[in-house]
Amino acid sequence: MSIIFNNVRIPMSGTFFPGQKVLVEKGKIASVGSMIRKNVEKVIECEQKYLIPGLIDAHSHLGLFESSTSVDDISEPFADITPHLRPLDGIKMRDRAMEDARRAGISTCMVCPGSERPISGICSILKTNGNSADVGLIVEQAGILMSFGEQVKGAARKGERPYATRMGVSALIRETLMKAQDYYALKQSKKMVKDREIDMEALIPLIKGEVAMRACAHRVEDIMAAIRIADEFKLKLVIEYGTEAHMIAAVLAEKNIPVVLGPTLIPRFRYELNEKTFESAKILMDAGVDVAFTCDYPGLPIETLRVAAAMAMQYGLDERRALAAITDVPAKILGVSERLGKIKKGLDGDLALFSGHPLDIRSRLEALVVDGDLFVFSDDLKVEAGN
Amino acid sequence: MKTILEKGIVFYQGKFQELEKLVIEKGKITEITLASSKAKKGKPVPPPKKKVETSANTIDCSDLYILPGFIDAHTHISLEEEGVGWYDADFNESFGLATPHVRAFDALKMRDRAFKDALHGGVTTAMITPGSANPIGGQCCIVKMVGNIAEAAVIKESSGMKFAFGENPKRVYGEQKKFPCTRMGTAAVIREWLMKAQDYLKRKKTKEFKEREIKLEALLPLIEGKIQARAHAHQADDIITAYRIAQEFNLDMVFDHCTEGHLIAKELGKWKARAVVGPTFSSRSKPELRNKTFETVEILMDEGCIVALTTDHPVMPIEGLSVAAAMCVRHGLDEERAIKAITENPAIILGLDKRLGKLEVGYDADVVIWEGHPLDTRSRTKAVFVDGNKVI
Repeated sequence: MSIIFNNVRIPMSGTFFPGQKVLVEKGKIASVGSMIRKNVEKVIECEQKYLIPGLIDAHSHLGLFESSTSVDDISEPFADITPHLRPLDGIKMRDRAMEDARRAGISTCMVCPGSERPISGICSILKTNGNSADVGLIVEQAGILMSFGEQVKGAARKGERPYATRMGVSALIRETLMKAQDYYALKQSKKMVKDREIDMEALIPLIKGEVAMRACAHRVEDIMAAIRIADEFKLKLVIEYGTEAHMIAAVLAEKNIPVVLGPTLIPRFRYELNEKTFESAKILMDAGVDVAFTCDYPGLPIETLRVAAAMAMQYGLDERRALAAITDVPAKILGVSERLGKIKKGLDGDLALFSGHPLDIRSRLEALVVDGDLFVFSDDLKVEAGN
Repeated sequence: MKTILEKGIVFYQGKFQELEKLVIEKGKITEITLASSKAKKGKPVPPPKKKVETSANTIDCSDLYILPGFIDAHTHISLEEEGVGWYDADFNESFGLATPHVRAFDALKMRDRAFKDALHGGVTTAMITPGSANPIGGQCCIVKMVGNIAEAAVIKESSGMKFAFGENPKRVYGEQKKFPCTRMGTAAVIREWLMKAQDYLKRKKTKEFKEREIKLEALLPLIEGKIQARAHAHQADDIITAYRIAQEFNLDMVFDHCTEGHLIAKELGKWKARAVVGPTFSSRSKPELRNKTFETVEILMDEGCIVALTTDHPVMPIEGLSVAAAMCVRHGLDEERAIKAITENPAIILGLDKRLGKLEVGYDADVVIWEGHPLDTRSRTKAVFVDGNKVI
C-alpha cells in the first residue's frame, strides 16, 4: 500500500516544519518534502497536523503481560538464571494492550522478561502491527536482561530463592558470565566436541559483544555493580530504569552508557525509588548521556510514554530532546537507527499523526502507520483514495 | 592547592609533639616540621620558599590536636545501611556454606550516613567485610570514607577472604537444620574448600584445564598469598583452630574479634599474631563473649602482637572507635599505644603502612584536626582531610 500525508508538520531541527508531504511506499518512507507528486492508494489531507516517527518504548513487557487476568508470562519465579527465555514464545499479539500501544502512537517496543531475577532472558524488538510474534519481532536477539538491587532481593525473599544480598546477585551473574566465556572459548576450539547448553548458547551473542547487557538498576550502587561487571567481561551495557543515574551522570557519559529512563510517573513505593525525579533526563542529557524514556509497561500504562516526555519538559527539558527520547534515541539504543526513529527516506514507514503538538497531552492520535499498515483512529480525518 | 597546618600538637612518630608546620599538597603530606627541631637547630624558619605561595591555605592549629585519620580494620559499613529495612541489608549471602566469590565491594552504598559519621569520628579508612554467617563468607574491601561511588573510595577491591569460626555459622545453619551444627563441621567446610582450591590451582596450570569455577577462582589469590585470610573468632579455641588451618594451608591470617585472645596471649605472641580486637563495647550477647574485656589489647601488645581496635560497625557505631581506644586507656593501656591501635596498627594489618596510619612525608594526607585530646570523648573533630581534600 502507498500512502501520502499532505500538508503536514514534521519535526525538523528542533521545530515543526509546516507544509510538508510524506510518502510511504512498500512499508518504507519513500519521500519527504513539499513537492512530491505521485499516484498513491491513500491520500491523507492533514491540514497542518503533526506527523512524527512512530514512538518507541525501549523497555516493556508488552504482550507478555496479559491484560485483565491475574496471571502473566513475565517472570519465572522458580528459576534465577534463564538467559534462554525468548519473548517470542510468550507474546500475545491480540492482547488489548497492543491496540492501546497503537492508539498511543507506539509502533515499536523492546519486549523482555521481568526484572525480578538476576538474568531473566532475551530482549526482543517488537512492532505493534503484526498478527503473530514471528512477524512482529523484527530483531529477536537484541540484548540480555539482567537485574540488580531491591527488586531482585525482594523477589528472592518472597520466592525463597537461595540468595539474599546485592553481593549474591553480582556473584551469580559473574558466575554465569564466567561460564559463558569459557563455554564460548571451548566451542571455538575445534578439538573440543561438546554437548550444547541452551542457557550458555543464549549468552554467546552477549559475550561476543554483538548485543548489549540490559541492566535493570535503580540506585547508584546497583548501576555501578552493572558497570563493574560489564567492564570485567567487556560487555556492551544499557542501564534500564536508572532512577539515580543522574547522580553519576559524569560516569555514564564518560563510559558512553545509555539509560532507558523510567517509569518516573509512579509513586515511591520502594526504597530504591527515593531519589526519583523528573529532572533526571535533563541532567543526564546535559552530561552527554543518551536517554530514552520508558513506561515499563505494565509498570505504567503504555499510553503514558508521551506523558514521560512532556513531564521532562515541565522540568526543564527542551522539546527537541524530549521528542528524540521517544523516537530516535531509543532506536539508537536498540541498535536499529538505520531503520527506525526518524522521518527520513528509506526508513521504515512508521509514522504517527497527531491532531496537535504531540507532547501536548490533549492532542489525540489520528492515525498510525506501522510498516506501511495504516490504522485510522479519527472519524474526522480526511482519508481519500488516490487516483 | 596547598594546605598548611601551623602550630598545634601533632601525633608524630608515636608520640604527641609540638608542631611547627605540616604541608599538604596534591593529596599527600609533603612536609612536617616540629617546633623542637627548629629550637634545636636554632634556625629561624624551615627551608626558604622558592616562590610566593598565593594559593596556600593556612590553618592556625594552636591548641588543637593533629592526628592521622583513624582506621577501622573490620566493619560492615553500608552493607546494612543504617535506618533502612531488609532491602538494604546485604550482609550475609545465604546460598551456601562457602561463598568466597561474593564481594562486599558490590554492595557498598556510599549514601549511608555512617560514612559521614565515620569522618566526624575521625575515621577516614575502613575495611568492609561480609558477615560471619558462612564458614567462608566472601571478599573484604578497603575504602576511604568519601566519594559518591565505591570506585571513588576504593583502596583495595579485594583485600581479604572472610572466614567464620565459633557460634555464628553453627547457629545460622543449625537453625536451618543443616550441616554444620558443630565447630568441627565449620572447620571441615573450610578445609574442604581450601583443599579444592589448592588442587584447582594445580589443575589450572595444566593444558587440559578449560572451564573456570568462580568460587575456586576467588580462593586462588588467598592460596597464592596475595590476599589475607580474615578469621572471625572470639573464643580462644576458635582462634587456635583458625591458626591451625592457616598453618596447614599456609595462609596469611589476621584474627578478627579475638575476644579471648588474652587467654592465649603467649601463643598469639609466639605466632606474631595480628589481631583486630572488638567490638568490646558490645554486650556479652552470646557465650563466646563471656570473657570479653578491655584489657585484651594491652595483654596482646605486651606479648608482641600487632593489635588494632574495631567497632565492627554497625554492631557498635563507627564514631565509637576513639571511645574504644579511650576505654583501653581507662583499663591500663598507655595513650600512645591506644592511638596506634586505631592508626598505625590497622594500617600494618591491612598492608597499607606505606601510605596510611601515620603522619609522614609522602603518606596520604588523611589528617584530622581535633579540638581537644582525641581520646577525650568530649573533643570534637574540627576539620577532616581525606587525600588532602577538606571533607569536614
